[in-house]
Amino acid sequence: MPQKFKIFLMNLKLQRTKILIITAVLALVMLAIWGMMSLESFYRNITLAQMPLQLIMVALNALIFVYMYMNLFKSSWGSSKKARVKTEQVNVKWSDVIGLDGAKTEAWEVVQLIKDRAKVKQIGGKIIKGLLMLGPPGCGKTYLAKAIATEAGIPFLSMAASEFVEMFVGVGASRVRQLFKKAQDLADGYGGCIVFIDELDAIGRNRTFSQFGGQETNSTQNQLLVQIDGLQEKEANVIVIGATNAPEDSLDPAMLRPGRFDRKLYIDKPNLDEREKTFEYYFSKVKYDKASIDIKRLARKAVYKTPADIENIVKESALIAARDNKEAVEFRHVSEAIERIDMGLKHRRNLVPKEKEQTAWHEAGHVVVLYLLHPTEDVFKASIIGRREALGVVHHSPREEWFTRSKESLLADIKTSLAGYVTEKIKFGTTSTGVESDFRNAMGIAHSMVWKWGMNSVGMVGDYTIYGTTGGRSSIDVFQLSESVKEKLNSDTQNILQKCLKDVEDLMKKEWKITEHIALELLKKEELEYDEIDAIFKDYGKLQTQA
Amino acid sequence: MRIGRLWLVIACICLSIALSGCAPTYPKENFKEHVVRLCKKEYKLDVKVETIGKTIAIYVPLTNLLDFAFTLTQDAGEKINNVILSVSRVALSSDSNYEFYCVIAHDVKIPEIQIVIIKSVDDVKRYMLGDISRGEYSKRMLIDMKVSPQAQKERSIREAFERMSVDRKWQEGVMQDFFRSDPTTLGDIGYWGGRFYIKDVSMPEFLAEEIASRVRFVFRDDKKLDEAAMLRSSKGSYVVSGDSDRSIKIEIAAESRNTGSFTSEELSDKIFASVLAVSYEVVHGYKFGDFDYLTITNLSDGRSSKVTKEDLEKYKPKKTKIEDVMVFDTF
Repeated sequence: MPQKFKIFLMNLKLQRTKILIITAVLALVMLAIWGMMSLESFYRNITLAQMPLQLIMVALNALIFVYMYMNLFKSSWGSSKKARVKTEQVNVKWSDVIGLDGAKTEAWEVVQLIKDRAKVKQIGGKIIKGLLMLGPPGCGKTYLAKAIATEAGIPFLSMAASEFVEMFVGVGASRVRQLFKKAQDLADGYGGCIVFIDELDAIGRNRTFSQFGGQETNSTQNQLLVQIDGLQEKEANVIVIGATNAPEDSLDPAMLRPGRFDRKLYIDKPNLDEREKTFEYYFSKVKYDKASIDIKRLARKAVYKTPADIENIVKESALIAARDNKEAVEFRHVSEAIERIDMGLKHRRNLVPKEKEQTAWHEAGHVVVLYLLHPTEDVFKASIIGRREALGVVHHSPREEWFTRSKESLLADIKTSLAGYVTEKIKFGTTSTGVESDFRNAMGIAHSMVWKWGMNSVGMVGDYTIYGTTGGRSSIDVFQLSESVKEKLNSDTQNILQKCLKDVEDLMKKEWKITEHIALELLKKEELEYDEIDAIFKDYGKLQTQA
Repeated sequence: MRIGRLWLVIACICLSIALSGCAPTYPKENFKEHVVRLCKKEYKLDVKVETIGKTIAIYVPLTNLLDFAFTLTQDAGEKINNVILSVSRVALSSDSNYEFYCVIAHDVKIPEIQIVIIKSVDDVKRYMLGDISRGEYSKRMLIDMKVSPQAQKERSIREAFERMSVDRKWQEGVMQDFFRSDPTTLGDIGYWGGRFYIKDVSMPEFLAEEIASRVRFVFRDDKKLDEAAMLRSSKGSYVVSGDSDRSIKIEIAAESRNTGSFTSEELSDKIFASVLAVSYEVVHGYKFGDFDYLTITNLSDGRSSKVTKEDLEKYKPKKTKIEDVMVFDTF
């Protein structure tokens, strides 16, 4: 069949609902006219005279129903909103996908499979039907899916899985059927189609078999599985791409078995190079001061930031620069943007001088320990301007990506947390409740070191948190853990904290002048940037600890 | 855009077809033929139709019009109803401006006896639209079963001719020239000797007759009144005297049965009050204002009363005392 005829047939199929509705409406109108014409003029006039009122009543009834359905039942209609996106409208080119080099290589293979399907079949290869993209949010899964569609040059149907879920059981399943039917029709016309289901975990989580609910999600998921299987049978060139930031093991195993989402693409947070490229890409879209902004340095500072975070930082910087009546983004704008995104907006409180002083010393303690003892973290900013619940904050960021934590790094975390407490105690001879979150953090790390990671001094090896429900997935009875073991572990946790406390006290006494300097600077300026902090330490001949 | 155009085309087609069907089903030019054809087609009845002014007359020849008890047979009643329905359909779905129609039915074996039904087209329309109830609709219909006035007249004349030994060949000519003329009252409407005797019914005389007809219903339905008095006759007419003196004249003949339930004065008042209430109902129901006063006369006791249009408008049945609106006189 010629391509044009195929597309004509496809359009007929896609428009069949409209055609059916128009035919039915036409038939009804013709019948109504025929009926009216067969009436005598008097009765016809009566009928016509009643029609406006009837139309108003019908419209009123419909409005009441729609209002009740949409507002009282918080539902929408059985058919989902238009999911189809034309390839040219997706407008995400392969070159637009910055970073994600590993994922891009794998995705390219998928593009080739879509493009050259016949070749794969010829050599007896198996056609990929499902591609599952996993990874933290904001790492570019949707972006990559769009780029695949653009590159493959086929229609792209995009839906969020949450759109399938409705109040009535069966609506979700019906929407899945509609989506795949449409994909099938488009594939017939254009030679292929991509179905992209975002936030797949909304319907893809482990199915529950309970009488108290979950049937709608189950039936939607079942329908999705059936449809993906159906694609195999029909040999249709439809690729289903799912994206989720939920852990793989939280998805139903049935979804992950071969033949369904059999290829998995892990899209992780970008590394240093990728972050640099991403910063370069987004900064290329705004005017920025090249003298003050060092992209390499920013990339180093933005460890664990996702591409979406980086995009947000640049956009926020541009907004701040515009508000500051500057023509180009400067480093301080970027710094403020990062601070806003990471720490929230400043929330000035009227502190009494004593409390302000206490806060400044508390934060100065954190800064000194972090700078001098932490092997992997840099101070980004110290501030005694309140944000959210905190009266002050020392914002720090990792120097490099570490996918594991060393004992030294963890101990440095604990010491940093305890530094505020120690400083308050030395300076004022008393402490405040401002240490609450610090203690929670320190205690949590110490506890995990001893109970989970074998970093204890009592020789206990193993993850003791699997006893009981602390891990959430425990299968071992908590009562199997003896009191003496618990006592030993808890005692060692306290030992770690005490040892760290002692180290911090020693350091503080030794470096008290620096602490005092920073506290006074903070009281004066309220905020200190990394460069200012670094300069103070260098004045005292101190260098930052390296890993 | 394409879909929008398609809907526009559909709407245009529908509109043109719908508008083409807006013409009257029965154009006035062939009004009579339509009635005849409809009665023949739908009910296999051969009728004759005549029109005069704004009145249509339909003659329906029937067999077995009356039974041995001198009441209308069921078959004849159905046929008359069918004719009424047919003429109503044509009148309502026509661009003609007929206001009244008279259905004249008689038994071909006893042509002297006839039933005349007079209706207002507007009443039929209002009934069809649910503006008036079925009971009210039936009260607004004038039904008269009687010996044809023309037949009576011609019989009397012929008897006189016989007594005078007028040659038969002259009788028909004299009858035609001097005694066969169009009626002047609604009571004279009929069909005799292959000729319609009809007049153009006017709204005032129709209403006057309707009041008289309704008074008969009141005497039939009000048991106390019926037990106390006997209505011998009830007639209504619309009288125009001089240039501007227009009145509705109701003449009844109601006699006391002397049962003792009412004194003669009480009974007379009750009769007048009943007639007044009926008159108010009719005048108010038709929003009729083309009269100056109403006269009610009881021929049996010679009592008469005059009510002006303004007083009749103020009258509230069961609330207003009749002395407040009526001025009595005795002749």
